[in-house]
Formats: sequence, structure tokens, C-alpha cells
Amino acid sequence: MNADYAGLFRALLPETHLVVGALLVLTIDMIWARHRPANRHHVALLLGIIALLTAGYAAITSGASGHIYGGMLKLDQLAIATRTAVIVLAALALALLPDSRRMNHPAEFTAILLFATTGFTLMAAANNLLVAFLALELASLSLYVLAGFDKTSPESAEAGLKYFLFGGMAAAFLLFGFSLLYGLTGSLGLEQIATQLVMQGQSPLLVVALVMVLVAFGFKAAAAPFHLWAPDVYQGAPAPAAALIASASKLAGLVLFTRLLWPGLGSAVGTIAHVPVTVGWAPVVALLSGASLLLGNIGALAQTNVRRLLAYSAIAHAGALLLGVIAAGRIGVGPLFYYAATYGLATVGAFGVIAALESAGPVHQLTDLAGLHKRSPLLAGCLAVFILSLAGIPPLAGFFGKFSVFASVLQLGGLAGPVGWLVILAIALSAVALYYYLLILKQALVAAPVADATPVRVTDPAAIALLLAASLIVALGLWPSAVLELF
Amino acid sequence: MSLPVQHLWLIPALPLAAAAVGALTPRSGRTLAAGAAIATMAGAFLLACLALGGALDFPAAHQVLNFAWFDLGATSLRLGLLLDPLTAFMCVMVTFVSLLIFIFSTGYMKADANAKQFFCFLSLFAAAMLGLIIANSLLLLFVCWELVGLASYLLIGFWFHKPAAAAAAKKAFITTRIGDLGFLLGLLWLQDAQGTLLFYDGGHGILESAALANLTHLLPCGLAASTAIGLLIFCGAIGKSGQFPLHVWLPDAMEGPTPVSALIHAATMVAAGVFLIARVYPLMAADQLLANVPVHALTVVAFIGAITALMGALIAVAQNDIKRILAFSTVSQLGYMMLAIGVGSWVAAIFHLLTHAFFKALLFLGAGSVIHAAHHEQDIRRLGGLRPKMKVTFATFAIGMMALSGVPFLFSGFWSKEAILHAAHGWEVSSLPFYAAVLGVVLTAFYMTRLVAEVFYGAPRSDEASHAHENSPAMTVPLVILAACSILFSLLAWPSPWLQHQLDPSAHSESGDMSLVLPSIVLVALGLGAGWAYYGRRPRTKAESPDPLDRYAPGLMAALANRLGFDELYAATVGRLSSGFATLAAFLEVFVWDGAVRFLAGLGELSGLVSRENDEAGFNAGFDAGSKTLRDTGVAYSKAQTGDAHGYLRTLALGFVLLLILVILGGAR
Repeated sequence: MNADYAGLFRALLPETHLVVGALLVLTIDMIWARHRPANRHHVALLLGIIALLTAGYAAITSGASGHIYGGMLKLDQLAIATRTAVIVLAALALALLPDSRRMNHPAEFTAILLFATTGFTLMAAANNLLVAFLALELASLSLYVLAGFDKTSPESAEAGLKYFLFGGMAAAFLLFGFSLLYGLTGSLGLEQIATQLVMQGQSPLLVVALVMVLVAFGFKAAAAPFHLWAPDVYQGAPAPAAALIASASKLAGLVLFTRLLWPGLGSAVGTIAHVPVTVGWAPVVALLSGASLLLGNIGALAQTNVRRLLAYSAIAHAGALLLGVIAAGRIGVGPLFYYAATYGLATVGAFGVIAALESAGPVHQLTDLAGLHKRSPLLAGCLAVFILSLAGIPPLAGFFGKFSVFASVLQLGGLAGPVGWLVILAIALSAVALYYYLLILKQALVAAPVADATPVRVTDPAAIALLLAASLIVALGLWPSAVLELF
Repeated sequence: MSLPVQHLWLIPALPLAAAAVGALTPRSGRTLAAGAAIATMAGAFLLACLALGGALDFPAAHQVLNFAWFDLGATSLRLGLLLDPLTAFMCVMVTFVSLLIFIFSTGYMKADANAKQFFCFLSLFAAAMLGLIIANSLLLLFVCWELVGLASYLLIGFWFHKPAAAAAAKKAFITTRIGDLGFLLGLLWLQDAQGTLLFYDGGHGILESAALANLTHLLPCGLAASTAIGLLIFCGAIGKSGQFPLHVWLPDAMEGPTPVSALIHAATMVAAGVFLIARVYPLMAADQLLANVPVHALTVVAFIGAITALMGALIAVAQNDIKRILAFSTVSQLGYMMLAIGVGSWVAAIFHLLTHAFFKALLFLGAGSVIHAAHHEQDIRRLGGLRPKMKVTFATFAIGMMALSGVPFLFSGFWSKEAILHAAHGWEVSSLPFYAAVLGVVLTAFYMTRLVAEVFYGAPRSDEASHAHENSPAMTVPLVILAACSILFSLLAWPSPWLQHQLDPSAHSESGDMSLVLPSIVLVALGLGAGWAYYGRRPRTKAESPDPLDRYAPGLMAALANRLGFDELYAATVGRLSSGFATLAAFLEVFVWDGAVRFLAGLGELSGLVSRENDEAGFNAGFDAGSKTLRDTGVAYSKAQTGDAHGYLRTLALGFVLLLILVILGGAR
């Protein structure tokens, strides 16, 4: 291994910005801002956004330089796009930071969010099992803390603990799976593993390793049957944390596992596009996908809590995204990335609307959204864009995400195999999904406000973030090739 | 410093942003809307000047920026931007004239409660017009083409509470749409034949020789394919540029506010047709080398242009409304431009387009100044004697009139008109268009002299005219600037044809040939002298006294005053035909289709009545039950979500084991 430290430093410039930014936020808060409670969260927010912006600039300008530091990292077009996207999503989530009256330690929150983002950006580029695991754990541990950050709320503590327990177990499976892979191939680099596996062929041990890796993947993507944490965590975590878990974490996880599955374990994919099916990881992913589509969409019908509804919608979307993973190897990662990124935007936006509403009172039930169009036209308009995009209504980005993923899956083998049938299932369930999405919009846009409802004041950063997310969704919907042609 | 083609989109984007500001501000925000419109237009003007600088560095090159809009299967729909001297000169002209007219409008629309809407529409128009100019794709051009049509409709009908304005807006929209149908057909044909609509695309664009060679085959009717496509596209230009026989909407469009008439129906939008034909000139000229075809596309263009030029000038002689005279004059001048393209000199056409934009905007704004001062009196018989009261307006209007008439040497119109006459004189196919153009020159000088004499000389012939006074600087300063431009522009043509050379570096210079100058001066002098003899020497004393020409040829004058009866002709033919069709359709609707529908509906009702019970019990209940089952499944399922962390972890482990078993079983098969 040739140790090219200069190249490593250049490649890790975004991460450096993030880490230095996180430390700076903590230091300045300790020395100066702690004694000025009125401005404390402004300072944290400003420094956090600056760190994210500089990191984002560094990520965009880094250039696809290929293997870094002896193949530990791989900076290709996908890595650059994912880094940029997670940084944008993290910035949007950070802008939802509540003011100091309700958030006691804004600087710590910001710093941990930046650490989580560092984890995401590393996940986007990881090309080695060890780096992948470390990045994943950096992100996960930060997210556990963020989920339990609201110390005044028992739900938040419950969310943090459940997320941690579930995540810890998933990480154990992943590590076990990785150690089996290492034992089989004798190497940690994805390319070396791939060449070894091609020579060895399929073995029972490999199958066990595959399933273990996929359990962790299912956890990260909130795919059934490893989704059980999602409703509780989405419900209890502070809104910015939930937004981050639902968007950036999901995108980074998908990219990490796609890179692991296709270039790394591509020889063990199996066939799913035609009958008869042969064994590999693709049939397992298809199983997870089908289960998620069914459970997510049908479970969502019974929800009366907005956040749990979004959690089930996340499970349903995970099912569609897993279909995209199956197609990514032959058709390219473009549709998958586009879907995941625009889904992240819409989810961050939806949680942002909830966060802004929470400044005026608790938001639990769907009926708490009643009369939003009277209380804040801005929030109601943005919510309409996000929810309609989640439901996949053209010309918003959600439609083209679904369209391109389904089209790419159908290119594999048409309706000749289970994966094609899953597309039919997904399209049919979209009709079910429209029902529960419209339940949200019905409350927000049609129902009359309750008698003592007050207008909602939205803070400037949150308003800017929401408008930005909404306009990005519209713009990417009108111009899908801007993203799809990157790959 | 110059603006590269990558940033060309900024030029239309700026006024578009102003239109958005105008649309979003409340009605009281007129200052904001006007300020945004003027500021962005000033910015767009500066950018256009930078773009011109960039274009003139490489006058022979077509700098393009092409990009894919979206993909449909294997077809990629591509749009693009184009920067060449033609685009750049048009951009500078449009932004500059728009800027001055926006400023003028702040004065003209001062009393209108809806002024912010006005500036919003004007900005929208400017954005669409600039987009039309910088398009490198016939499709993008067509989109903007329709957008300027929409803006024109909105602005003609801006005072929609006046029935005449509403009717005029409708007429303009429908009449131009007839031409646009041809344009659209040509566009589709072209896309089908070439697979792209980009003008220039590194050798594959529709205006480049490789693609044009595809279109030289003959159709069953004997025309070359390029001729047919070119003529279809020309239909769009006929409608938009008010050419015979679709010119009827343009005079009526004068119902709109005068700044609109100046900007849209004189300087810019109506010239878009000329611009379009100049832009696709290589396509129009693709059939020139074919000998065995019945007609060439450009020949049709030349004859239509010549007919329009002569007819517009003739009708203008007998009009009495100040704006209608100018409107028919616009029709006539657009005819000259088409004639120039038809005889092969698109450069002369664009030169005349640019000079005409300045002096015609000047004339319309001058007319607007008169109308504003005279409390919306537009009949020249009831005006008069305004010269001492409105000195600035008179002086600038006189400059515009001399530029339009082609008074020699000092005025820009002389040079551009000279270029057109020269080109028409050298046309081998026929000399008729040349003689029509020559006659038009005399008539132009004549009716403009009549207009000035009636409005500014003699005594005021109504209360409105006698109480007129000069307008505020917001209105007079643009007049002065435009007047200065009308004179200064002549420097671009004299002593050397700099502009022509920049537009088309490959064309050979014709500056030395001045053989037509002397006859042309004589013709202009003839027109001016005749006009002065009839109207200036003995000014009209009463509004009711008859026109001097009525005594010589009352029948002809009545026909001309009636605009040669085109409106009546169309009402009696096309209008009658379409209302006949409408009556027939209504008859069929009521008695045939409706009867059939009623019968079927009766059958349906009967069967509905029969099956209603079944339906309620079967299908409907089934669907309801299905939905309920689905919802209940959800409820039942969400009971599994107990919140018990142990249970969750157990499920995770179970899920793992289950998947493992499935995979191993599957592998064993």
C-alpha cells in the first residue's frame, strides 16, 4: 500500500471542514456563547451552516480522482454527488434547529450533527470494509445521540434507546458478516474481494455472510422486517434529528450498500429478472423490498400520528429504493440516486414543516395540522409540495424518481421475473399511498382551523430551508436530467 | 469584456424576474413593479451590449450552447442558445427600445389604477421576445413566439372593459393563430425530416448545409421539401408580422395603450416574423439552385412583401386615426422588410428592421404624447395647431417622420430603405416588386406629411386640442433619445456599410453603387411636396371639412378608408363559413348527436336502474369491503408494533433466520 498522505488530505477536505467546524462550534460555545443565552443557538447555527457550506464547496470541487490512499476510499461521480447531497440535506435539517428556549444545548447538537455528516460523507466514498464499518458507526453513534437529544421528553429518550439497541444489533450482524467475508477472501478492499469471489464461486458461508450484511442494510434503509425501530424513532426524536435520520442517513446508507453489493459482491447477485430465480443477494433484496412495500403502505393507512405516518411512508419508499438497488448494477446508479436524494429533500421538508409547527404547539395527530393554510400559507404551500412529491405526482421530483427507478427495473427483464412483478405491486400500492398522503393534505389545506388556533411564526432559517427544499423539488422535477445525467 | 454564450440566458431571465415581481406585488405596488421592470431592463441592456461585443469579435461564428431538455425513448429533445451578430444586434435594439418605452410608460400610465399589471405584462413580453431572439432551436423559438403572442393579447386587451379593446385582442390572437398553425406544421415536418430542431449544432443543425441537402428532394406536388417547409414557417411570419392577407389584426391592435403599440406592434414583436425568416434564411434559400420547381420559397416571400408594402401605404393615405395611420405604415414597412428578404438580402431587411424600430417607436411615442396631451383625442381632423404648444414632441415627431419618409443623408431610414430598393432593383425574377416599392416610397412621404400637417399645423379644431400642453420629462426624454438615435443610426450605414458587413461578413460590399440615390431623392421630394401642397399650404379649418383628395377620387378614397374591405371580406367569407360550420355543428349537436346521446343515456339509465341494486350489493360493496379490509389490515398490523424493544430485537433475529432458511432452501433446489 502506498501511503499518499497529500492525496488523502485533499480527498478528505470536506470531512476536515466538518470536523474543524464541529470543534469550533463547541469551543466558541464554551468560551463565549454559553453566557449569552439569547444568541446561543444563532451562533451555533451560523457556524454549523458555514462549516457545511465550505464542506459542500470542497466536496463539489474535489473532482473524481478515483482510488485514494491505496483503495481505502473511492472518489467517483457517485461519491461526489452523494457527499454533496448529504451535506445539503444536513444543512436543511440543521436550519430546523429550534431556538434556545426549547433546545438547551444547541452547540452540542450542531457539533454532533456535523460528526454524523462526516460519517455520511465517508460512507459515500468508502471502498474498504473497515472504512465502511467505521464510517457507518461514526454516523450511527452520532444519530443515536441526536435521537435522544431532547432530555425533557421521555419519547425522545425512548427513541434514542430503541434506535441504539436495534442499531447495535444490526452493527453486530454487519461486523459478523464482514468478518466472514474477510475470512473467505482474505482481504478488506472491495475490488480484491470481488476478484476472490469470482474465483471461489458460491459457498454456504458466503450465503450466511450475505444475509448478515443485508440485515444491517435492511436496518439502515428501514426495510421490513428490520423496520420496527422506524415509527418509534421518527415519533420521539427531535424534528431535525428525525429529518436527518430519514434523509441523509438513508441516502448515505443506500450508496454504501450499493457500492458494497454491486462492485464488491456483484458475482453473488443471483438472478431475479427471469424465472427460475437463482440464489444470491438480489432475491433477498427483492424479498425485503416486497415486504417493505406491503407493510409500509398498508401500515400507514392506520396511522393517526403525522410522524408515524411519515415513518411508514419511509418504509414504503425503502421498498421502492431496494428495487432501484437491484437495477443499479446494469442500468446505473442514476435513478437510485435521484430517487433517494429527492425523497430525502421531501422528507426533510415534511419534518421541517412539523418542526416549524411545533414552535406554536405540539403536533401529534393529523388533526393538529387542521387549517394550516389559514395559520401559515407558507407552511401549507411547502407541505403540499413535499407531500405531493412523496406521493409521486408530476411534475414534482418524486414522480420522476419513481418513474426512472421503475423504468430501470423493467429494463432488466420486463415482466418476465419477480422483480418485474414487484414493480406492478409498487405501482398498485402507489394508489393506496395517495390515500394516506391526501389525508395529510386534507387536514392542512381543506379542514378549518380549531377555534383557538393562532398564526404560526416561522423562523427565517427554517423558512429559507423550506423554500429551498420546495424549489429544489420543483426544479429537479422539471429538469430531472440535471441529476440523471451526472452518472 | 464580453458576455459568453453560456450566460446569454441572463438577458431574458432579468425581465422574467421583473415580471414575477410584478405578478406578486399587490396592486398598490406600482412603483416597485415599474422600478423592477426598468432596473432589470437596464441590466439586460448592459448585458446585451456585452453580448454584442462578444459577437463582433467573431462575426462569422455562430456561438451556441446546446443542452438536452429531456429524453423520450431514443429521441433526445435538445434546446439551445445562439449568439451571433444577428442575435446580438436584435438584443441591443429590443432592450434599448424597451427600456425607453418602460420609462415613457411611467408617465403615460400614471393615472391607471392597474399600472403594476401593465409593467408585469410588459416585462413578460420583453422576456419572451428576448428568449425568441437568443433561441438556437426552432422549438424554443416557437415557445417564445407563442409567449409574445400571449403577452400581446394581454396588452391589447389591457383596457378590457372597452368592448373594442377586448374584440381587438381576440382578433389579434385568433388571426395570428391561423398563421401559427402553418408554423407548427412546418416545425413538426422539419423535426420529422431532420430529427432535430437546433439551428446550429456543429454541422448537424437544420440551417447547416449537411441537413439542408436532405430537403432538396421533390414532393408529389412538384415543390421541393424545403420550399414547402419554408412556406409553412412563413405562414407564421405572415400572421405575426401583419403581412397580406393576415394583416387585418394589426390596425385593430391599436386599441391597446400607446406604449404597447410602440413596443409590441411597431418595434419588436411584429418584426419577429422578419427576424424568423432572416434566421431561417438558409432554409428558405435552400431551393434557389433547383431549376425544375414551379416556385421558390423566397419568390413568394418577395411578392407577399411587395403587396403588403404597397397596400399598407395606400390604405394609410385615407385613414384619419393617428395611430391607425402609423399602424398601416408599420404594415407597409414590414412589407418592405419581407421584400428585402425575398429578393435575397436579409441583411438589408434586418438593417431596416433596426432603424425602423427606433423611428417607429419614436413616432408611436410621439403619437402617445399627443394623445395624452389631447385627452385621448386620436382623430387627426379634430387635432391641429399643436406645434407651438408641444415643441419637443413636434421636433422629435418631425425627425421620426423624416426618417420614415426617407429624407436623404441625415436620417437612418433613408439608408436602410435605399438598401432595400437597391436589392429589389437587382432581383432577376421580376421587376414588379421594385416598382411597387418605389410607389410605396412616394406614398409614405405623402401620408406622413399629411399626418404632420394635420396634427401640428393650422388651428386647433376641438377643445381637447386647444387645451393640450407639453408632457412631463418622463415622456419627452425618451422621445429625445429615440430621435437622436434615429439620426445617429445613419452613421452606421454612411459612409461605409459597417452594420451590413458585421451581420454577414461573407456578403460583398455594395457601398459604391449610388445609382439609385438620385431617383430616390426625387421620389421622396415628390411625396413630401404633394403632401405639403394638399395639406400644409391650406390647413384644414374645421373638423368636418372634407379631405382634399376626396374631391378627386371619392370612390377610391372611400374604399381605402374602409381598408379595401378586407375585414368585410373576411367576415363575409371566412367568418360566414365558420359561423355556418358552427350552425351546422349546433344543429347536429342538438338533433343528431344529442338525440343519440339521449337515446344511449336512456338505455344506460334503464340498465343502470336494473343493475343498480346488483351494483350496490356487489361491486360497490366489494370495493368498500376491500378498502375496509386493507385499512383493517393496517390496524391489525400496527398492533404488532407494540413498542416493546425485546419484541423488536426478537423480530430482527427471526427475520435473519427466516431469510437464511429461504436462501438455503432456494439454493438446494
